[in-house]
Amino acid sequence: MNSRLSLKRFLEIVPGGLSWGIIVGLIFLSFFFPVFSAVIIISFDFYWIIRTVYLTTLLVMAHQRIFRQRNEDWLERCMRLPPEAGFSELYQLVIFPVYNEGLEVLRPSLEALAASRYPRDKIIVIMAFEERSSYARDNALILEEKFGGIFGSYLSTFHPDGLPGEARTKGANATWAAKSARELLDARKIRYQQVVVSCFDADTCVDKEYFGCLSYHFLTAEKRHQASYQPMPVYNNNIWQAPSFARLVEISSSFCQMIESVRLEKFVTFSSHSMSFKTLVEINYWPVDMISDDSVIYWKSYLYYNGDYRVVPLYVTVSLDAAYSGNIWRTMVVQYKQKRRWAWGVENFPFVVEGFIRNKNISLLNKVRRSFHLLESHVTWAVWAVILVVIGPLPIFFGGAFFSQMAIAYNLPRIAGLLFRFTLLTSLTWIFLSWTILPPRPKGISWFKHVLLVLEWVFVPFIILIIGSAPALDAQTRLMLARYMEFNPTLKGNKVL
Amino acid sequence: MYNFQKIRFSLFFLSVLVFFLGLPLILFSAFGYKFDNRSLKFVKTGLIFVKTQPAGARIYFNGKLLTEKTPTSMQELLPGTYRISLEMEQHYPWKGEVEVEAGKVSRMDKIILFPVRPNLQQLNQESFNLFFVDPDKKSIYYLDQGKGVVYRSGLDSGIFEDVASLPDKFEPINGWAVSPDRRKLFVFNQRQIGVVFFDNRENYEYPVSPVLLDYRREKVAAAFWHSDSYHLVVLTDKHIQVIESRPGALPVNLVELNNAEKAAFYDFKEDVLYFSDAQRSPDGEIYNNLYKLELHSNLYSLERLIIQPFEGIKSAQKEDNGE
Repeated sequence: MNSRLSLKRFLEIVPGGLSWGIIVGLIFLSFFFPVFSAVIIISFDFYWIIRTVYLTTLLVMAHQRIFRQRNEDWLERCMRLPPEAGFSELYQLVIFPVYNEGLEVLRPSLEALAASRYPRDKIIVIMAFEERSSYARDNALILEEKFGGIFGSYLSTFHPDGLPGEARTKGANATWAAKSARELLDARKIRYQQVVVSCFDADTCVDKEYFGCLSYHFLTAEKRHQASYQPMPVYNNNIWQAPSFARLVEISSSFCQMIESVRLEKFVTFSSHSMSFKTLVEINYWPVDMISDDSVIYWKSYLYYNGDYRVVPLYVTVSLDAAYSGNIWRTMVVQYKQKRRWAWGVENFPFVVEGFIRNKNISLLNKVRRSFHLLESHVTWAVWAVILVVIGPLPIFFGGAFFSQMAIAYNLPRIAGLLFRFTLLTSLTWIFLSWTILPPRPKGISWFKHVLLVLEWVFVPFIILIIGSAPALDAQTRLMLARYMEFNPTLKGNKVL
Repeated sequence: MYNFQKIRFSLFFLSVLVFFLGLPLILFSAFGYKFDNRSLKFVKTGLIFVKTQPAGARIYFNGKLLTEKTPTSMQELLPGTYRISLEMEQHYPWKGEVEVEAGKVSRMDKIILFPVRPNLQQLNQESFNLFFVDPDKKSIYYLDQGKGVVYRSGLDSGIFEDVASLPDKFEPINGWAVSPDRRKLFVFNQRQIGVVFFDNRENYEYPVSPVLLDYRREKVAAAFWHSDSYHLVVLTDKHIQVIESRPGALPVNLVELNNAEKAAFYDFKEDVLYFSDAQRSPDGEIYNNLYKLELHSNLYSLERLIIQPFEGIKSAQKEDNGE
């Protein structure tokens, strides 16, 4: 094994090793040094209370920003920009990588695109099918018939299976589509810097103001090519039909993304996002062998521009499908697998650190700060629920007679109780905000569902147990043991995404 | 956006400040420290946790009535001794002194407040000398030696019935036991064991009249029912034997005993008899040993047991001891 591979393996082991080290270490302490363990647990509980209050405040700020910009006429604002900003020459390239998704998923996405308030002749759509999918050609024909004449350009691409150096990932398909788009742009003599490319999940339904908002931010951004543009994903497409469990998890995921949008120095692209096509070409497209292509594309750009690259939050929503299946158990499995795939973003850590080692132009402070943020976020994800739910009570049960007569043994559960009361308070905020981001109740759905939407939050502790830390710990363990994950699309109702 | 981020950074640093200022206070408090306004120092305190059965007792702490009721805790107490009394309507009060140590919890969680007027019931409807409570079958057996009658009742007042008559002129009674199947009992004295059957009018398996087992050459010291409710395990002054509870049954001697003064315990669940017996060592000293005799019906057919194998065990043991 050469030194580069050794370093990569070492970096792959670090997140999982740290997470397991923390868990095993705390369990060990709970048995043999319960006082020390209780001090750590109380400190962590207090940290978590403050963190929850802080993040909930950020969520309120992000939420307020979305609502403030909800009725903004972005297209009008673009038109008021000076001509040198280049709005009249700007093109929107939209890539939908498709795996096995059927027409019932793809049609609404294209209909939403067609309904957006943006000059359609400036929209180039690429439906990126996988050649190995048996329905790809038929579906492509049907969609071309319906949507072919609506946009400036419409192209169906078919990504060949098993190209050298590629894994079966969404990024490989998107890259193939982007290369085809490049040929199209070359043929039409459109300069790359005039094009903003959006890579959307197949179920992404854009808000009608999305491209106006994106264009305005792109055209007014300082170093517009050195930024990605991230809308707020909400899982509203089937939110009224999804079971409580899936609904809660997806709302929480949307909220997490909203919170991240306020923490600009840590903000990384996620799911559907946009960027300059010029930058995409320069950094050699999306990774073709990594699952978390949505975040790796940010890190590739960050390294390419020597750290002078950022993500600009767009306070406009894109709506996706909530992941669920036939019954509660299958929904749990689907959700678990989806979150594990997201948690597989931990593969970014070795990629980024290796990149930092090679790059001599990024300051050491930035390298350390960004590496730490990345590592800390994944390790915290993997251990927080385990510490709060599983390890928290251990010193009480296994601390022994000497520990049980100490004041700290009595105070430990009281402080943990305080934590949960605080969590309840923040949950009330989350419940209220979740109500406000819901789409209108469709016909045929009872008003009682509104009541249910509030009551279902009592399941949160149960959900924390199931998918709080377990998927992240699972993903990190796989990476640690070099059991690399493959891209598996998520089941969303009767659809596959 | 600048202001937005400015607010966020302010919030972040405020959170960090709250964490680092608050954590020592929380940890100090968790360890039982409190700030003493008089000495202007942190002093280590202890706490008392009180739990009663039933809950909801009033608490007088050093004579002062607290608003909290049990279960509760009294915190931030300086080390020392505190008087506590617990009171509840219609219950005897509990009073005591509790020692509080710094950084420790004094747990008083085993306090039972007993009712003033306990629910006292008389169960027997006839006179009796001995009784046996059977919680499994929720029954009580009464034995009236004078009348020679056995009664049975439930665990509370209600049915009280005559279930058997003892053999005529069977006295004295040194011991008695109801069989595991609760269909008969035995009584014994040094010379006789009498087995009496309950309610046998509809059961032709057992004889109507009591079974009497006579012991003319040996004295009965103790007797136990085997779990099959048919055999009796009997300790005499000379042997340990089993005998069937039927007329004319002959005992089978399982073990020959050296010492007439012996103690025994019978484990009904496992059918194991534990007994002590004396043994003389090569140096002439007499030692008391404890033996375990397994009588489980799955292990042995009791009828086939003969004295020799057990003699063999004891002989082998004697050889081991160098006798």
